[in-house]
Amino acid sequence: MIRIYRQLLVAQIQAAAQYRIQAVLWMLFSIIRPVIFLAAWTAVSNAQGGSIGSYTTSDFAAYYIALTIVGHLTTAWNSFEFEFEVRQGRLSPKLLRPLHPLHYAVVENLIWKATTFLPLLVVCALVAATFNVQWHGQWWHLALFVPSIVLAAALAFMIAWVIATATFWLQRINTVNTLFQRVGFMFAGQIAPLALVPTWMQVVSYSLPFAYFLAVPAEILRGGVTLEVGLLYLVGQAVWLGLMIIAYRFAWRAGLREYSAVGA
Amino acid sequence: MDAPVVDVRALRKVYRVTERETGLAATFRSIVKRRYREVLAVDGITFRIDPGEVVGFLGPNGAGKTTTLKMLSGLLHPTGGEATVLGHVPWRREGDFLRGMTLLMGNRSQLVWDIPAADSFLVLKEIYAVPTAQYKRTLDELTELLELQPLLHKPVRGLSLGERMKVEFAAGLLHSPGVAFLDEPTLGLDISMQGRIRRFVAEYNQRSGATILLTSHYMDDVVALCRRVIVIHHGVLLYDGALADLAERMAPYKRITVTLRGEVGDLAAFGDVVSSTDNTATIHVPRTQAGERTARLVRELGDQLADISVEDPPIEEVIDKVFTSERPLAEATA
Amino acid sequence: MARRTPRIQRGGRLVLRYLRMFRAFASTEFQFEMEYRGNFYLSILEMFLVIGTSIAAVLVMFGHTTTINGWTLPQMIVLLGVYYLIQGGVNLVFSPSFERLMEHVRAGTLDFHLLKPVNAQFLVSTRHLRVVRAADLLLGLVVVIVGLFQVGEQVGVGAALLFALSLVFGVMLVYSLLLGLVTLSFWFVRVENLLAIFWAFTEAGRFPVDVYPLWLRVSLSTIVPIGIAVTAPANAIAGRMDWIAVALLGAGTVLAVGIASALWRRGLKSYTGASA
Repeated sequence: MIRIYRQLLVAQIQAAAQYRIQAVLWMLFSIIRPVIFLAAWTAVSNAQGGSIGSYTTSDFAAYYIALTIVGHLTTAWNSFEFEFEVRQGRLSPKLLRPLHPLHYAVVENLIWKATTFLPLLVVCALVAATFNVQWHGQWWHLALFVPSIVLAAALAFMIAWVIATATFWLQRINTVNTLFQRVGFMFAGQIAPLALVPTWMQVVSYSLPFAYFLAVPAEILRGGVTLEVGLLYLVGQAVWLGLMIIAYRFAWRAGLREYSAVGA
Repeated sequence: MDAPVVDVRALRKVYRVTERETGLAATFRSIVKRRYREVLAVDGITFRIDPGEVVGFLGPNGAGKTTTLKMLSGLLHPTGGEATVLGHVPWRREGDFLRGMTLLMGNRSQLVWDIPAADSFLVLKEIYAVPTAQYKRTLDELTELLELQPLLHKPVRGLSLGERMKVEFAAGLLHSPGVAFLDEPTLGLDISMQGRIRRFVAEYNQRSGATILLTSHYMDDVVALCRRVIVIHHGVLLYDGALADLAERMAPYKRITVTLRGEVGDLAAFGDVVSSTDNTATIHVPRTQAGERTARLVRELGDQLADISVEDPPIEEVIDKVFTSERPLAEATA
Repeated sequence: MARRTPRIQRGGRLVLRYLRMFRAFASTEFQFEMEYRGNFYLSILEMFLVIGTSIAAVLVMFGHTTTINGWTLPQMIVLLGVYYLIQGGVNLVFSPSFERLMEHVRAGTLDFHLLKPVNAQFLVSTRHLRVVRAADLLLGLVVVIVGLFQVGEQVGVGAALLFALSLVFGVMLVYSLLLGLVTLSFWFVRVENLLAIFWAFTEAGRFPVDVYPLWLRVSLSTIVPIGIAVTAPANAIAGRMDWIAVALLGAGTVLAVGIASALWRRGLKSYTGASA
């Protein structure tokens, strides 16, 4: 498996080199929303005397910078790509090979993140400077962040795959994607740090996987959790990742049956 | 004599092409300083076309045909020289000029693929401001000539290449232009569709009197439609005159192909042996002596002769000779 | 079939002619969209979803404060409505047309537009529509009205007029930016990425422009004028803009459209090989 991944990586890196500029531009595209909300919340917080709840203006800034980084590292666009491939008829040749199509998407995903990570950090540093961000975390926050972000990225990826399998039945999943994006917008921590949203929304966020691929790692990164809560979060992430993998297994098998029934 | 519909004088077009090397360093360098190469596409051509003519524009790929057409339809500004079409300077893109002409490109479609052709036609009607009565008349006639009835209400996407070409023709002629520039109109079509399109163009020219300038590298298009040809190569006009005269001048010979029962011997006495295999040979003989030489061959080869055929040289051969001469031919006397 | 130059409709003046053309464009696009009725309704549903969640976001924010930079909740709702109005207006005509334009430049089929006896800029800007976006326009308007209702004050005729005017200016401002970006495809083939960034920046329009730090505020009023395009009408209907301000906005819009159009003409000149 490792050898396969290594070969895939080599092949994909070459392809990605052609699209360097596009990759960076797309990254810029994805950070604008958190920055906008950062500006908005800064205004709100300053109007309220410098803090809202347990978040000072500087905390908001730190949260949204963390959200930007996490958002970037957990981006998963494979649901769009999958629908496109099925429509183009490119899925069948992949299914004939002994390698699960999922692995191509993983490699593509990782390469983009690797290519654009440095520019991302540069932009984040700039934004942080503009908004006077200070980091109040401990070293173990960073230690916790490592497994957290890996779990989060894997979780986001698996969710995207489960959504992607809807293609087998619906062919066009644009609405499904929009639905998930907007629900995620509401419940994953983009609108506000989860501690500040109405209780019923917090319940939804934490009992569904939404909190675990965005808000949770962001809070850990920003240093806003105690050690116990941080560890609990990791467990939550792992549980949801497990659930998603199971869901994916079912959906994929059923989907393939549907796909071949229609005459792939 | 009527004023010419197309009047071209010393028309010249030079393209500036950026030279791009590969590699990151070169890309950076090119941001600061661009290097250009000049490509001479059309090098001072002159000709006139009278109303109602159907003229063929011949030349190999890259000869400058399409560039010339683009200049005459107003899409490109020339680097030098002058031209008027229908009394207008094309690249000024005046309304009356644009309404009076059409350019059809064989490998490119102007129709929107997702909607039926009929809908695109309605849009074109508004764009050219064609009065409704005239539009109906023109559409009916084009539908009849091109057998469009089953094609009009299907999305263009679903039509075959030949069907699409027919519909594109109709789209280009809806506004009854006085001049039609056809750039490779039969490109990629099968033989029968090519024939249909040719018949249509001839019929359209007859009925409407529209002047037609057509480029093609299918000789059959030119032979079928054009009494007059203009030959271009490397941007230079090599010949402008009747196609028949061209054949006579460039290839004043006939081609005799003999098939023998036994081995081919030395036939040099009969004419210019251009090719031979074990039992066949192709001989070029001067046109005026074709009959006499044929008779001699029959007499002297006797029952060695299995088959003999006498033909005009294929027109491709004629044209090729013009291309390879690469010097403009002096005007043939009328 | 007589060969003669067609007579221009005597009855129509130039404007009428262009309006008829536009009607032909809209009608064919609408017929096409109606073939895929499912998608049509789904798009409307999606818009409901998008607007609904955006309003939810605003509500969450206002759970912690009563104003943001002097904007009350109802006023923010109005702003949000204007945001979707402007997006709807731009996405109704200009976005689909410009998307096709970039394809044309790449495929070499732009020539067909240039062969027509119609202003090329008009053709490439309005040739294609996504009629379903008219629903976005309507939804945006509904949100604006709901917000106004919550504000409770009477909206004077003057304010309403200024609102309508600044809305038109806002759409034309965004148009000029789009035109400028798309014209770049004459020189740089892959402009889609720039457009993607532009769309990302338009997100900033969901908040009043004064929320942002100075440098962002300035960029959102000049380079990517979405900020001013959305905030101005929202201010206008709240009675916070006078005629002079709207006139200035109008002047700026005319200037922006003028610059973008000049760039377009320059691009065409380069494309057709006319000497500079």
